[in-house]
Amino acid sequence: MPRFAHLVEALHAAPGDKPFIAFWVDEDEQETVTFAEFRRCALAEAALLREVGLTAGDRLVVLMPQGIPAMTSFVAAMMVGAIPAFLAYPNFKVEPSKYRSGLAGVTANLSAKAVVIDEEFPEEMLACVSLGSETKLLRAPARANDSDASMPDRQHEFRHIQPDSLAFIQHSAGTTGLQKGVALTHAAVLRQIEYLAQVLKVSGDDRIYSWLPLYHDMGLIACFMLPMVCHIPLVMQSPIEWVMRPETMLQIISEYKCTLAWMPNFAFQFVPRRTPQSRWAEYDLSSVRLLINCSEPVRASSMVEFQRAFAVKSAVLQSSYAMAENVFAVTQSDIGQPSGPSRIWVDAQQFRSAHRIMPLEEGTPGALLFTSSGRLMPNQQVRILSDSGEVLGADFVGEIVVQSDCLFEGYYNRPDLTAQAIIDGWYHTGDLGFCLKGELYVVGRKKDLLIIGGENIYPQDIEEIVGSHPAIHDGRVIAMGVYNPDLGTEDIVVVAEVEHEKWLANAVELEREICSRVVAGLGVAVRRIFLKPPKWIVKSTAGKAARSATREKLLHEHPELNVEF
Amino acid sequence: MTAEAQQMIEHIVQLIRKPGGTIDENTPLVSSGLIDSMALVDLLLKLEDLTHKRIPAGKVQPKDMDTVAKMFATAERVGKPRK
Repeated sequence: MPRFAHLVEALHAAPGDKPFIAFWVDEDEQETVTFAEFRRCALAEAALLREVGLTAGDRLVVLMPQGIPAMTSFVAAMMVGAIPAFLAYPNFKVEPSKYRSGLAGVTANLSAKAVVIDEEFPEEMLACVSLGSETKLLRAPARANDSDASMPDRQHEFRHIQPDSLAFIQHSAGTTGLQKGVALTHAAVLRQIEYLAQVLKVSGDDRIYSWLPLYHDMGLIACFMLPMVCHIPLVMQSPIEWVMRPETMLQIISEYKCTLAWMPNFAFQFVPRRTPQSRWAEYDLSSVRLLINCSEPVRASSMVEFQRAFAVKSAVLQSSYAMAENVFAVTQSDIGQPSGPSRIWVDAQQFRSAHRIMPLEEGTPGALLFTSSGRLMPNQQVRILSDSGEVLGADFVGEIVVQSDCLFEGYYNRPDLTAQAIIDGWYHTGDLGFCLKGELYVVGRKKDLLIIGGENIYPQDIEEIVGSHPAIHDGRVIAMGVYNPDLGTEDIVVVAEVEHEKWLANAVELEREICSRVVAGLGVAVRRIFLKPPKWIVKSTAGKAARSATREKLLHEHPELNVEF
Repeated sequence: MTAEAQQMIEHIVQLIRKPGGTIDENTPLVSSGLIDSMALVDLLLKLEDLTHKRIPAGKVQPKDMDTVAKMFATAERVGKPRK
């Protein structure tokens, strides 16, 4: 991959007639652009942005539905040296009040010079976009044709873009509270892409598939910036369409012969479960070189479920540990390993009571299984820290801290949050993990950890046991700690959705059965299990069970639990 | 009321499981808290079945799904004939 000074220069160097983006709406409607067409649209829009007074360093908010127009607006802002940010476009599934307050907070913090929306942006949401007296509201800017023929001569227009200037702001994922704006330079983004291209052996024959939202790092970096800089085509669809019809992902990959994709762990179960088994064999995923599991802890069982359904080779399913604050990936599993990411079985007692990793033979009864997120990418460093901040050895679990040449400049306009997150040059991720034989294993979030009578319990472990009961909807279980003032420690409370309403008739018996499974599996007792009807658990926009929002809902319905949180 | 709207109402009544409550075509569903926004994926798929249309989910906003009457109007406005 050639070295570029900034992202616009990378787009500028792309072969004009090569396909860039195919946006799949449905079987009959697809919009496609070549690199030249995309450049033309972005250049025309950049001229328009200059006309409304946007200059270097100004922020531009892109509030458009997922698609090519949103992407051209984003690049047009970079062309004038401004700093774009994608924000989530409202959809029918969002809770309007929650969406409004999030939008108001994020736009106020960005104090944007211009906000780009589409013609159909709902008026009732617009009132929540924080518009200063100087802010311009641009409705679906015209995508007039600018001549690409003169492109080679136009590089002087971009000479003012400095490698160390901010390229864009991406917002850290979060289901509650104010999302933080992660500010990234052109140089940091380009370095990350160079490492990804090298480690994943990206070539001109690759084609990316994505349903991932552009306002998250996986969608923005892996599935927009990477293909733009590496000059490879991308086939994408809207996340909300994918949630409605996850099977379309299989259809698109088969049809377009895509080779690379990223997905969060839950999608590896969601796609096979929402696709009728009778149609599994209709899809041909043999073109896929790598399907990378990249989100919270990688679960071997989810990967196996996808693999069995669609007969993909073990080497295709890989894993990565990534975050917006590092542009994207910190680690990547070895793509040359035919069996996929490494796995390890460890002693459960040592893990919980001493935060210690003691490897056991594969399949030892009661052992915990972890899947590796892979090895460090070039120029990345990781340390595992104890609660008191000491660097821990290879066989201990602690907070993962990261140092690299891709790290963010800080949270935009929030020096207070930046100072909490970056300490002595190390970014404190809030994730818990351990390093073994040069590989990183991520086991959970620091703040989710339950401490029950001095034992460290990971809610994910309880959730996996509860979710494996046939009456419970897997993935729709939340375990949480509730302070018990009589005992001076936390008690475990579980809320779980039943697969079918009829199970609620036997709730007492079912609760007893699940409690005994948890005790048998983890040696800890659950104080209360709340069985709820289907669709009770609050989900994030990505479709995952939203931990804190579910906790709030449970407390609201059961005030007797509300002792202290 | 059309037979399809009646079927949708029956589907929603089953979904919310509140005995004794009645809903009609114009009962607010989401804004009144009768159903949560997560149940809307299910309702949108049901709406597609009842209208024999494919509805581009990206073009549907929370207010478009707030009553049964609005749902069918939305299907009419943005739905495409299904093959």
